[in-house]
Amino acid sequence: MTAPATRPARKRSRHVALALAGAATLALAACKDDQVDAQSFPDLESCIAAAKDNSLWFTEQDCRTNFAAAQQEFLETAPRYESKELCEQEHGAGNCGSDPAAQQPATGEAQAQNSGGGFSFMPLLVGYMMGSMLSRGGGIFSQPMVKTADGRFSTPKGDQSFATNRGAGKVAPSTFQRAPSTLGKPPMSAAQVSQRGGFGASATARSGSRTSFGG
Amino acid sequence: MEKRNLPERPGWRDEAVKLGFTFADMGGEPYWDETSAYRFTLQEIEQDIEAPATELHAMCREAVALVARDEAWLTRLGIPQRHWDLVAGSWAEGQPELYGRMDLAYDGTGPAKLLEYNADTPTALYESASFQWLWFEQQQAAGVLDEDCDQFNSIHEAIVARWTQICADGEDVHFAADPENPEDYATVETLAWAAREAGLGAHFTALAQIGLTDEGQFADEQSRVIGTLFKLYPWEDMLRDEFATHLQSAGARFIEPPWKAILSNKGILPLLWQMFPGHPNLLPAFFLDDVAEAMRGGSPAPAVAQAFAAAQDDLARGHVLKPIFSREGAGVTIFEAGREVARTEDDSYSHHPMIVQGLAPLPTFDGFHPVLGAWIVGESCCGLGLREDRARITHNLSRFKPHFIEG
Repeated sequence: MTAPATRPARKRSRHVALALAGAATLALAACKDDQVDAQSFPDLESCIAAAKDNSLWFTEQDCRTNFAAAQQEFLETAPRYESKELCEQEHGAGNCGSDPAAQQPATGEAQAQNSGGGFSFMPLLVGYMMGSMLSRGGGIFSQPMVKTADGRFSTPKGDQSFATNRGAGKVAPSTFQRAPSTLGKPPMSAAQVSQRGGFGASATARSGSRTSFGG
Repeated sequence: MEKRNLPERPGWRDEAVKLGFTFADMGGEPYWDETSAYRFTLQEIEQDIEAPATELHAMCREAVALVARDEAWLTRLGIPQRHWDLVAGSWAEGQPELYGRMDLAYDGTGPAKLLEYNADTPTALYESASFQWLWFEQQQAAGVLDEDCDQFNSIHEAIVARWTQICADGEDVHFAADPENPEDYATVETLAWAAREAGLGAHFTALAQIGLTDEGQFADEQSRVIGTLFKLYPWEDMLRDEFATHLQSAGARFIEPPWKAILSNKGILPLLWQMFPGHPNLLPAFFLDDVAEAMRGGSPAPAVAQAFAAAQDDLARGHVLKPIFSREGAGVTIFEAGREVARTEDDSYSHHPMIVQGLAPLPTFDGFHPVLGAWIVGESCCGLGLREDRARITHNLSRFKPHFIEG
């Protein structure tokens, strides 16, 4: 065999942690994700109308189920702000309201529904996007949509925005990943801990000699 | 594939100490052992390890998709019913995976065989991604390894890239593990370092110190709310702990996602064999319940009768019994021609349901049996770490061996 004309692609990192700190020269191209069918609607009615008209992949029932799911997810994951002004800076004038969860009584099951730390303003729910994950072994998923400061529409995660809240197209499946919860206190904020030690017991009970959780 | 004796780097032990690699020797035995190294050709790496491991992960994702919609399989894999929504929902939502390690039997000739997939809490990440890399760079600089040599090890870069894909810029991630275990801690620290490089906030908390706040959220040992939690702690235990009832309501995001409970379970091996019978990188596998009688001359469960008939001779030559939950070789027994030939003493997992898997005899190099650890980051294989043992069942005191690519 003759020697290959070009050197084979390098199989190892250019740098690693703990050996060479500092200049991070990261150039791994992200794989292009496959795309899934998606369609967005300003409200439930327009979805139902589209389903009746000529839906390829969703039914009227999908509209209802996913609109409800999007409403719930909106409550759980939409960004929350200390004031209406801060909210409008991010989402545009007239596009914010008070947090519906903050008005629920803090009893029993509903306790975790309370937003914490005075973050009680939210953007308004202005539509939802449905996507078909059937090609990925899933069903139909939805994400709520809110306005952005420049008049576009985005999911709570906020990493992608769209020109409209009515239209069909292809989007990355990651569009339908749930955003982190904004109910309760924001990550890293100080909290009152009522109990510790609720994790780790199953491993300890298994074997006295074993210390590693990994393997 | 060959094993080659090489001079050790002068002073590597001092360097290991300086870098915080404190477990290079364990229990009086060397753990990191560079008196020799395994050499592979590029073709072996790319065609026999990298491509098959990436394909196996894709097959595993298909298996997860099936289990997530099938109550009978969720039951069979020991997922508590009260957590089916958490597990299946995390899959349906497309929550992304971070990393995993496939253990493969490979001798340089036939196809690599999947022994098992630690898709939830794999360790030995620091040794694979960092110390092995340093060994390679230094040996190459010293002229011990040729200039044309390489190593299959883009693990660190792949993890940094993965963090940027799956987290928002600046997202705070808590890393929970047992701080008393240096191996676990090193793996978590390696991931956390990569997370910082990816622009995330990385915070450590002892797993046992995680608290529940007045509002039902999880908090770290300094009582700060946890938004995203990487836990080096198996889902099968997490789902059975006292705080398990709060997993859904706490509003935290978990890495690995809950659906890894399906994958990091030896019960996935019979399912893979059912879905992809005869796949070159799989060994025949069955639930012991389905074939125990048949292995004593009786009949197998009707659903697997045909597959069992096809695999019967292979299994009779040699097979392995393993509990569906097990780490580091615990509870594993090897049989050859009807006789028990090896067993681990640790039986702490053996009360769980067992699987039967065809035996892929590990090759022997200078009296040691290597097992390949193929690292998966995201959905692709990106590196290799080998451990070897004199015994036939690799366990937590096996030696870690560096590797290089030549030719």
